[in-house]
Amino acid sequence: MIESLFSNPSYTASKVLMDATAERHEAIATNIANVETPGYKRVDISKSFTEAFEAQVKSGDSSVAVPPATIEEDPDAGTQRQDGNNVQMDKELMAMSANSLQYDTLTEFVSGSLKQLQMAITGRSA
Amino acid sequence: MNLISGVNVTASALNAENIRMDVVAENIANAYTTHGPDGGAYKRKVVTFESMLDPAGSGKSTVQVSQIGTDNTPGSMIFDPSSPDANKQGMVEMPNVNISTEMVDLMTASRAYEANLAVIRNARQMATKALTIGH
Repeated sequence: MIESLFSNPSYTASKVLMDATAERHEAIATNIANVETPGYKRVDISKSFTEAFEAQVKSGDSSVAVPPATIEEDPDAGTQRQDGNNVQMDKELMAMSANSLQYDTLTEFVSGSLKQLQMAITGRSA
Repeated sequence: MNLISGVNVTASALNAENIRMDVVAENIANAYTTHGPDGGAYKRKVVTFESMLDPAGSGKSTVQVSQIGTDNTPGSMIFDPSSPDANKQGMVEMPNVNISTEMVDLMTASRAYEANLAVIRNARQMATKALTIGH
């Protein structure tokens, strides 16, 4: 039971995604901080991570290697302003809310999995 | 990893916006100063930002004020022979400060400041949520 819980694909995927979400928050924080910096280009989680992670989830095989989520310049960022900066404040704020909601959801899921385990051990809910 | 992620970057932005607000305050305060330390009318100051790699080594881009420059466009000349700063023709050079421009700048700085505070608030929520795992 314990073995199967901790190697459950959804559980391991949530852990990876929680780290990525925390990293993404840093990326968004950097973007918002630099909203007035001329020539600044918006950053986000690396594409290679997102693609590898999606592939892993689709295959359901947690042994598929996923590179750690790193922050890099976002190639899909929208048009840049006259000062060469391409950060759009409203988009960043939206992304931040969505990101922290995602983090909350993942936390609930991980928490729920652990509670289940605790219930199996003690025979009652915490 | 920091418990509250991205706090260095956000703190640097808060500081930069703060400096910008100080400069706006200085410009507004001196909107009618016709005699500065150098003898001439006050010239408005302009803040420029630049990003810089986080000195704490997180690899993120922090913000800093690259320079506080002076806007040297000439101010408007008004006719006021009674002013001690009037020239021979009775004209006085006013500072090149435009209150509306300064107010817009002040609002932009204050909105940017609020956005950065929202980032901190969000990061704190995330950290608090993480602490509830298993409860």
